[in-house]
Amino acid sequence: MSVVRFAAWILLLLLVVASGLEVAYTSQEVRRLHMVREEAQHRQDEHLAEYSRLLIERGALAAYQNVERLARDELAMSFPEDVERIEP
Amino acid sequence: MKLWRHYTVVGLFVFACAGLVARVVFLNVTQREFLQSQGDARSIRYETLPAYRGVVYDRFGEPLAVSTPVVAVWTDPSLTEFDEATIAKLAQLLGLDQQALEHRLKTNAGREFMYLKRRVAWEKAEQLRAVAIEGVFFQPEYRRYYPASETAAHVVGVTDVDDAGLEGIELSFDDVLKGQHGRKLVLKDRRGNTVKDLEYLSAPQFGIDLTLSLDLRLQFFAYRELKAAVASHKAVSASLVMLDVRTGEVLALVNLPSYNPNKLPDNHYEGMRNRAVTDTYEPGSTVKPFTILAALESGEYQRTTLIDTNPGYFRVGNKLIEDPINLGVISLNEVLRKSSQVGIAKLALQLEKRAVYDVLNRAGAGAYVGTGLPGESVGKLSDVGLEKPVVQATLAYGYGLAVSPLQLAQAYLSLATFGIRMPVSVLKQSAAPAGRRVFEADLVSQILNMMVGVTEDSGTAPKARVTGYRVAGKTGTSRKVGPSGYDDRRHVALFAGIIPASDPRIVMVVVVNEPAGKIFSGGTVAAPIFSRVAARTMRLLGVKPDAPVSLPRSV
Repeated sequence: MSVVRFAAWILLLLLVVASGLEVAYTSQEVRRLHMVREEAQHRQDEHLAEYSRLLIERGALAAYQNVERLARDELAMSFPEDVERIEP
Repeated sequence: MKLWRHYTVVGLFVFACAGLVARVVFLNVTQREFLQSQGDARSIRYETLPAYRGVVYDRFGEPLAVSTPVVAVWTDPSLTEFDEATIAKLAQLLGLDQQALEHRLKTNAGREFMYLKRRVAWEKAEQLRAVAIEGVFFQPEYRRYYPASETAAHVVGVTDVDDAGLEGIELSFDDVLKGQHGRKLVLKDRRGNTVKDLEYLSAPQFGIDLTLSLDLRLQFFAYRELKAAVASHKAVSASLVMLDVRTGEVLALVNLPSYNPNKLPDNHYEGMRNRAVTDTYEPGSTVKPFTILAALESGEYQRTTLIDTNPGYFRVGNKLIEDPINLGVISLNEVLRKSSQVGIAKLALQLEKRAVYDVLNRAGAGAYVGTGLPGESVGKLSDVGLEKPVVQATLAYGYGLAVSPLQLAQAYLSLATFGIRMPVSVLKQSAAPAGRRVFEADLVSQILNMMVGVTEDSGTAPKARVTGYRVAGKTGTSRKVGPSGYDDRRHVALFAGIIPASDPRIVMVVVVNEPAGKIFSGGTVAAPIFSRVAARTMRLLGVKPDAPVSLPRSV
């Protein structure tokens, strides 16, 4: 009788210890994952900042006024004002 | 003796301990919930994780509105008191005036929250984070940037400082663009530093990107031409609407005055109104093609039917309708080409009473366009009083009704499609939407041919011509209503055009409001703008010329 009781106590004790360790491990894991998430969030913000900057930059470079200025001033292009049409 | 003193001390200790234990039990058992909630209220906070707002693109993927991550820097003045040196450093890093900051901190000393600065650029905030000043906190937020600036401001709109839509697409599609904020539960210490993230409740969901039907290139030079015209005619305002005939999409929609959405005006909101959509004008002679269409529909008139406009004026009730010069006996063709008030009024009076109203109604002149742009006006097209000849006659030349430039464009779209009424949209369509036939194709085709006459040398708008293309259009010059009836000095100059007339691709409406000076007619003010913008548009869209080039020059 007493041996069974003793064994039960030991088992319970072991379970308590195991659950305690599990709690410790889990909260450590939570902290770690939290850090990972935080870092990912940070990277995402960084990428978003760069993405939007690049998008805006592309928009500025591809803006019609810029293309027109480049074509006219640097490539010496002009609008075909006097149209000649060649009929086949 | 000594024993007595010993027991007294022990007794007092036991008594004190018992008292404490009793108190602990009392608090734990009866006050537990209250104390727990109070404790939590002081240390547990919800924090919002802002969602990235969707990007707005033009039809070719050029960005019109982009969010970029920034940081709001804040502090809790009730907890933290900065010393002189720290304030100086903060002011320097944030680019603030030191004295103003000091003053602001002092006046808000009792508050628990104060923004030091909002919308701090991300890189700058990183610098500040590295300095790590106690009591300075960072809240991520997004700032909207509008690369097209004032060019597309009225369509795209603008957001407020909290990133909520305030105008334009930003307002009407706010729900789609804004996404959903995330939330997390955090534990904070007494000083407000986040000690631990307790629970990550929901991740922020990014907003959905929108692709508009606008073509930023067309938008840009429409804006430039309109701006130049407003400056040279000293006009109060001007609007331009360009629609794609095949899909009913809005390719360009420009208003002047405009505003810079990247830097909102503090107290001057005049330029923020999207006049092409919200303001209505009496369309004047631009409705004449519809009157003639009504005549053709009756089956009793042809293009060549003659109308006697002698002696150049006539009276309906007590209203005098007159032409600038007596045009004599002219055909319907000439009535449109010369824009004869007498001719069109006489014609309208011979038609069925509701005929003109009915045609305008079917074309969509008085109908809600439904692009979703905020403040869209339904205009005014009513059949009240049509039994009176005056009302019937004035409607025929465009008075007694009011339409927005967008509605006028919608009505002309029904002509450009050879009689099919199409839904108008500011969002890019993947396929041409189904329209519904409202006019017979061959009648509309006759009207378009007659409208080409308007831009010929003998018409009212030779200045609307585009080299290489046939332009079908109609001018309009209407007087504005002043305090005492129609004002002879305040005009609205309109031109509505369709190009190329043989196989229409573009409908464009130009409205110049109150051009100052002696030049104020639709043919001299609005038509040249149409011509310049349409020429560029045809070139950019690669539309095949449909007019024979006048003369092949010998080389």
